[in-house]
Amino acid sequence: MRPVILLENVTVAYNGEPALMKISFKVEEPSFLVVAGPNGAGKTTLLKTLLGLLKPIEGKIVVLGINVLKNPLRVRKLVGYVPQRERIDPSMPMLVKDVVLMGRTTKTGLGRLFTKEDIEAAKKALELVGLEEHWDEAFSHLSGGQQQRVLIARALASNPKLLLLDEPLSGVDALSQNVILGVLREMADRGTGVVMVTHDLNPILELADYILLLNKRVVGFGRPNKILSREVLSEAYNRSVDIVRVGETCFVLGGDSHA
Amino acid sequence: MLEIMFAPFIVKAVIAALLAAIVSAVIGSFTVLRGLSTMGASIAHASLAGALLAFAMKYEPLLGALALSMLFALITAYSSEHGGVRMDIVLGVSFGFSSALAALSLSLTREYTTTAYTYLIGEVLGVTDSDIILLSSYSLAVIIGVVLFYKEFKFITFDMEAAQAMGLNTSFYNYLMIMLIALTCVVELKIVGSILAVVFIVAPAASAYEFSHDMERMIGLSMLFAVASVLLGMLLSIVFNLPSSPTMGLVASAIYMVSIVLSTKRRICACRIPVIRTIREKTMR
Repeated sequence: MRPVILLENVTVAYNGEPALMKISFKVEEPSFLVVAGPNGAGKTTLLKTLLGLLKPIEGKIVVLGINVLKNPLRVRKLVGYVPQRERIDPSMPMLVKDVVLMGRTTKTGLGRLFTKEDIEAAKKALELVGLEEHWDEAFSHLSGGQQQRVLIARALASNPKLLLLDEPLSGVDALSQNVILGVLREMADRGTGVVMVTHDLNPILELADYILLLNKRVVGFGRPNKILSREVLSEAYNRSVDIVRVGETCFVLGGDSHA
Repeated sequence: MLEIMFAPFIVKAVIAALLAAIVSAVIGSFTVLRGLSTMGASIAHASLAGALLAFAMKYEPLLGALALSMLFALITAYSSEHGGVRMDIVLGVSFGFSSALAALSLSLTREYTTTAYTYLIGEVLGVTDSDIILLSSYSLAVIIGVVLFYKEFKFITFDMEAAQAMGLNTSFYNYLMIMLIALTCVVELKIVGSILAVVFIVAPAASAYEFSHDMERMIGLSMLFAVASVLLGMLLSIVFNLPSSPTMGLVASAIYMVSIVLSTKRRICACRIPVIRTIREKTMR
C-alpha cells in the first residue's frame, strides 16, 4: 500500500538550531493523525516540511506517493491547508463565499472566473461545516469558531487528498469544535488523509487513528490506546502529566495549558 | 468660469487625472490591505529618480521612471522574500538612495527648478496628447493585470500562507502585484507627482475600507472616492486659483479623515452625534 506520509530521518533547522531531529514515521492508509506536543515542539515546522515549504537538512519525505523535496508543488495542489486563525486579519473585507472559493483558485485557469462547478464545490464544503446560510455574509461578522469552520470549508472546497490543519481547535467554541471534529473524522472515513496539529489532546483522543507526540523529536507514535501513557506524555511535555479514565473515556491532565 | 472648465487643457487634465484615479483605486485596494503603503511611497520616489535621470540623459522621463521604479520594486520584493533583511530597513535605504539619485540627476540639468517641481508635485494641467496615450497604455496594463489575476491577488492578500500551501505560486503573484504598484506610481508621477502619488494610491482605498465588507465594494467605493477627489480638487483649484495636483491630494486626504469619522467599522465618539449616526446607519450594509 502506498503510504500517505512517509518520513525518514528528517532533520530541520532554523539558523543552525534544530527544530526537528531525525523524525521518522509512516502513515499507510488515509487516516486521522494528530500531532501533539508543547509549544516549540516543532508541530507547525512539521506541517511546513510536509508541504515542502521548509527544506530539511537531511532525510526523506514522501507525501501521497510524491517525493516532496523533488516536487513540492505537485503535493501542495493535492493538499487542503488550514493555517492558525490568528494569522489571518479577520477585518479583511471578504465575504464568506470569497474565502471558501479561494480553495478553488488553483483548480481554475488563469484569468478565468469561477465556474458553476467551483461554486457548487464551495457551497458543498460550506454545507459540510454547517454554515451554508452564511454564504453571502461578511467573514468579519462571524464568530471565531465560525471563521475557523469557513477556513476548513475553504480547504475542503479544493477536494484535497490530504488535509493539514494547524491548531484548528484553538479559541473555538464547543459547538464549532464538535462540528470541526465531526467533519474531520468523516473526511478520514471517506479516504482523505487528515493531519491535525494541536496543543490539547483531550477533544481528539476518541477520534484520532494515530497520535504523534513531538518534542523536536518523536517521543511517541502509534494508535492512541497503545502510546498514551503517563510516562510518554510526561516526556513529550517535559512535565508531569496524568491520565484519568472515566468509564471508557480518558483525559490528559496537565499536558499543556489547554489540556 | 464655466468656459474655462471646458478649455481643452482642462479637459485633458481631467481625463488624465481620472485615469490615474481609477487605476490607483484598483491597485490601491490591494496596497492598503497588504500593508504595502510605505513600499508604494518608496517606489514613487524611485520613479522620480528615474524620470529625472532620463530627463538629464535626454530620454523620455516616463520611460526612465518606469525602468527605475520597476527595478526598485523587484529589489524590494526580493529583499523582503529572500534577503532575511527587515522590510523597514530595505525601504529606508531605497528611499534615501532614490532621493539621492534624484538630487544627483537634477544637478546634471540646467532646468533645475521647473523639472523638479513638475515631477515632485505633478503637472496635471500640462499633460499632452502623447502623455495621455502613454498613461492610458500604462493604466490599461495595470487594469488588465488586476482583472486577469484578480482571484489569485485576492487569495494572497487574505492569506498568503494558505495560498502558498495550497499550490499557488505566491512569489510570482507577489512580484507581479508590486510591479503593478510601480506602474501605477509612474502613472501618478505626471499627474500628482512623486510626493502625492502615494496619497492617491492609499487615501481613496483606505477611505473605502472603512465602509466595506467585501473586496468588490471596496474597489468600487475606492474608485468613487478617487474620482470625487479629482473632480472636486480640480474644481476647487480653478475657483480658488490653486495648483491642481496638491488640491486633489488635499481633497483625497480630507475624504479619508471624514471616512474615519463616519466609518461603519469603528466605534468613535463622533458616532454619538445624531447626524453622523444617521449617515453611518445609511452607509452600513
